[in-house]
Formats: sequence, structure tokens, C-alpha cells
Amino acid sequence: MDLTPNITAAEAQRLLNQADRLSRGAHDATRWPYITFILGLGSVTSMGTLAMGLTTGSAFGLAYVGTLAGLFALIVFFAVSIRERSAFSRSRRWTAYMASWTVTYVAAIVVVAWVHGSVLWSGVTSALIFIVAIACATREARS
Amino acid sequence: MSTSEQAHPRHRLDELLQNPIRFSIMAALDRAGTLGFREVRDAVEVTDSALSKQVTMLEAAGYVSVGKAFVGKTPRTSMTVTRAGRSAWKTHLQTLREIAGGGEL
Repeated sequence: MDLTPNITAAEAQRLLNQADRLSRGAHDATRWPYITFILGLGSVTSMGTLAMGLTTGSAFGLAYVGTLAGLFALIVFFAVSIRERSAFSRSRRWTAYMASWTVTYVAAIVVVAWVHGSVLWSGVTSALIFIVAIACATREARS
Repeated sequence: MSTSEQAHPRHRLDELLQNPIRFSIMAALDRAGTLGFREVRDAVEVTDSALSKQVTMLEAAGYVSVGKAFVGKTPRTSMTVTRAGRSAWKTHLQTLREIAGGGEL
């Protein structure tokens, strides 16, 4: 005996539309703070490491303090905006995004510490931070 | 049952995903990958107990993994679609597309 329920083409299309709507709705409602945070993180740390790599004295101090202040503001924004929707922050995908950013950031800090004043290396590592952040944000926005 | 009847796409629909709540849970997790209990509940628009019951069935089938974490003293439950779940979901959607494109069965 066939117990599989009959399903019409119209019903199947309705289910497909519902799945698409639910999928987009759930993603869009929860991901914007994460995407905004990655973009902000990439911008602040990219500009910050570039400035720190090319300046000395009080200009270096200003770049350092400015980067820390920007990071602090971003973290506060992130912590507040993901309240009640923090599940993604414990996911593998988010961990991979943060790991990618960390690798490029550490490379930029190494350049600041060891090759200070090099326009080439500062430019390359700072650009890398920004490119990785944009790639992660784009990947998440398009998922 | 003849071979031609078995070839109908509707026979390939996943039984577990024919329940509307379980279907909606999988749809909500499709793009997001991982969502919190409240996020899924708000997307699917069901009660906590109804959601919990259906998630338990999806977890038992290996379609969803459920994680528990604590934020301070507050427990937080998260759901992640597994590889098996994603594969079953894709097959289910593909079958629906075949049915939608092939007229009434």
C-alpha cells in the first residue's frame, strides 16, 4: 500500500517558496551584526596597523590609541547587538572568520614590530587584513 | 506497486521533513547554519515545547546537532544543521522542484 501523500505541483512550489522565505528571513535577521563587525574590524585594524607601521613618536602613539579605541567601540557594539542571537558566535564558521583575521593581524603586528617604516610590508599586510575581512563579510552575506 | 509508481519523485521526499514544523526548522537553518533556540522559534513561529519536540526528532535522525552553552548563568541552546541534515534537505528540495516542475502527481 502506498502511504506516501500525494503532493501537487502547486503545493510543492508553495513549500519551496516558504523554505526560501524562511531561510532568508532567519539569516537576515541574525547576521547583520556579525557582518558589520567583520567589516568594522577589518577597517579599523587595517588602517591602524598601516598608521602604526609608518609613524613614529607621538603620531605612532595617536595611531595606537586610536586603534585601541576603535576596537573597544566595535567590541561594545558587537556585544550589545548580538545579545539574544549569539549562537553564531560559537559556530565553526565564525571561528574560521576570526582565525583568518587573527592570522593577518598578527602578520601586520609583526611588520610593525620588526620591519617598522617599510611602506611595502605595511601596505601589503594592512591590505591583507582588509581583503580577508571583506572576503569573510561577503561570504557570510551571500551564504 | 509497480516500478513506474516508485519512480514518482514524491517517493523520494524525506518522511521526516514532511512535517511542517520540521520542514520550517530545516529551512531556517539552511542559510544560517547555526541558530539559537529563540532565533529558530521566532522564525518558525511555534511554542517552545513544540519546537523542542521536533528538534529532538531531527537530532535523533542526525539532521541537527544541539549545543548547550552558558552566558553567565543563563543556558543557551544552539542548533546546527549537520552534513547528513544538509544532504537530506537538499535532496528533499530537489524532489520538490521536480514535482513543481512536473505538474500534478
